[in-house]
Amino acid sequence: MTALLEISGLRVSYPGVDEPVEVVHGVDLVVPQGRKVALVGESGSGKSVTARSVLQLDPDATIAGSIRLGGQELVGAAPKIVRGIRGSGAGLVFQDPLTSLNPVMRIGWQIMQPLVIRGVSKKEARERGIALLDRLGVVNAAARFDDYPHQFSGGMRQRVVIAIAIIAEPALLIADEPTTALDVQVQAQVLELLHEVADERGMGVLLITHDLAIVAGFADDVVVMRHGEVVESAPVDELFAAPKHPYTRGLLGAIPRLDSDPSVRLTSVADYVDTFETVDDEPAAPAAENGAAR
Amino acid sequence: MTALLPARLRPSSSPRRAPRRRRRGVPVAERIALVVVVLIIVIAIIGPWIAPYDPYRVDLAQALQPPSAAHWFGTDVNGRDVLSRVLVGAQVTLSATGIVLLITLVIGVIVGTVAALGGRVVDEVLMRITDIGLALPSIILALGFAVALGPGLQSAVVAIAATWWPGYARLVRSIVRETRHAEFVESAVALGVSRWRLVTKHILPNSLDPMYVQVTLDVAAVMLVISGLSFVGVGAQVPSAEWGAMIASAADNVLNGWWALVFPGLAIAITAIAFNLSGDWLRVRQDPTLRDGGAR
Repeated sequence: MTALLEISGLRVSYPGVDEPVEVVHGVDLVVPQGRKVALVGESGSGKSVTARSVLQLDPDATIAGSIRLGGQELVGAAPKIVRGIRGSGAGLVFQDPLTSLNPVMRIGWQIMQPLVIRGVSKKEARERGIALLDRLGVVNAAARFDDYPHQFSGGMRQRVVIAIAIIAEPALLIADEPTTALDVQVQAQVLELLHEVADERGMGVLLITHDLAIVAGFADDVVVMRHGEVVESAPVDELFAAPKHPYTRGLLGAIPRLDSDPSVRLTSVADYVDTFETVDDEPAAPAAENGAAR
Repeated sequence: MTALLPARLRPSSSPRRAPRRRRRGVPVAERIALVVVVLIIVIAIIGPWIAPYDPYRVDLAQALQPPSAAHWFGTDVNGRDVLSRVLVGAQVTLSATGIVLLITLVIGVIVGTVAALGGRVVDEVLMRITDIGLALPSIILALGFAVALGPGLQSAVVAIAATWWPGYARLVRSIVRETRHAEFVESAVALGVSRWRLVTKHILPNSLDPMYVQVTLDVAAVMLVISGLSFVGVGAQVPSAEWGAMIASAADNVLNGWWALVFPGLAIAITAIAFNLSGDWLRVRQDPTLRDGGAR
């Protein structure tokens, strides 16, 4: 299987007070063609920074290592090449559909934009936009095409955001916590939609999330990050059945389950690893084996 | 039971108290103001044609006539019809104000945007120039221009524009700095949108709302400064029907010819108030979330 996205030895640092602060310490990650990879980890683990460095969205970040998208090296590439990748090589779905749409432009204009800036005629862009919006489950897409973002509900807006991200047919879709701002029911709909559309178009997906519950039903592979490093990387079934790293066990142990014994307390990640330890975790003996190892 | 509820929560039983359907958008005061603004602009355009007398014709026999059927606003010390001069003066004063604000807005938006997006050195240089501009008092500068270019409305316009743009540049810069970090801007970058398009379609349309308000508020302020400069003698010159110049020349005869001073003064006041009130309405209109009556 060919690798669509291949990240190796990625280091990202930001300017600090005295010296640059490195927040991602040598991450390796592969998204094979047409597969869905979930990048999970707690807040501040560097998962977003890792994913966003593919499109080099942050001008302050210093990126070292290697990021290859479809064989093309992006680290140190000319700005023109990076811009060409944005939108058509890799699309990005943002976390908050309430703030990631331009409030003064009609949603149709925003959906057509990735095509229009690539020289597609307005008429064709409009047809493709309406068709895509319709496919994404927006009722009466043609009529709503000229509405403003505030006239859409949160779930509908996230569909618009997805439409914008995939209309230029990127080979890779990066979804940065796409459902965090939505309620549980809409979360499920949006994820299912993402799953379907990705399969239809043969897109690879890199899903960034801190919610392990949505990973199981969505992803093929899981990469667990902590403190800017990858602690574990495995196919989803394997990871859930037999997590190798104590941190992963801690994460899984912290999920409430319907069949767990109500009298037994859920464990915290802190029971498995030292939360304040920054790098080089030695696997520690977990304090309790509740839930995680089953 | 219902008496316990505050009035606005009480179910209204009598048809008389049933809430009247408020027409969407423009409240009464703003609506009147808008009508006045339109009226003033129309007068500014057609003023010379509807003026009953030649505003520049001196007729000393008719000097300082009080308001009458023949001369509604009376005549000034030179026997010129005040109504005609106020009507024609609208054109002079408003076009000068408009030109000042146009120049100001263009320079302010360009300088502010470039400073906000252009990196630290560019920002520093432009903002220090802006500070210098802010430090210059427009009256003094206008006096300087009057010496250099000769006194006249053009000198006043150039002088006011030269001292007015820095405020706009600062405002635009601070708003653009905020807008460029908005998530929808980052999202546009992630789509491969060019820098030019990013600025013109994403950043500026979301940054200029406060500018429109500022412009309408400044119509009044700029008009007053133009009139003030004319009053001290470096703006519009004597025969001109500019409102400030009219007040200046009428000030000597305020006791026996108050009308020659009061009517151009009223014209300035009414125009200023009408533009200020319209500014708020314009802000509401520019915001699509308010325009369409909120979220569905």
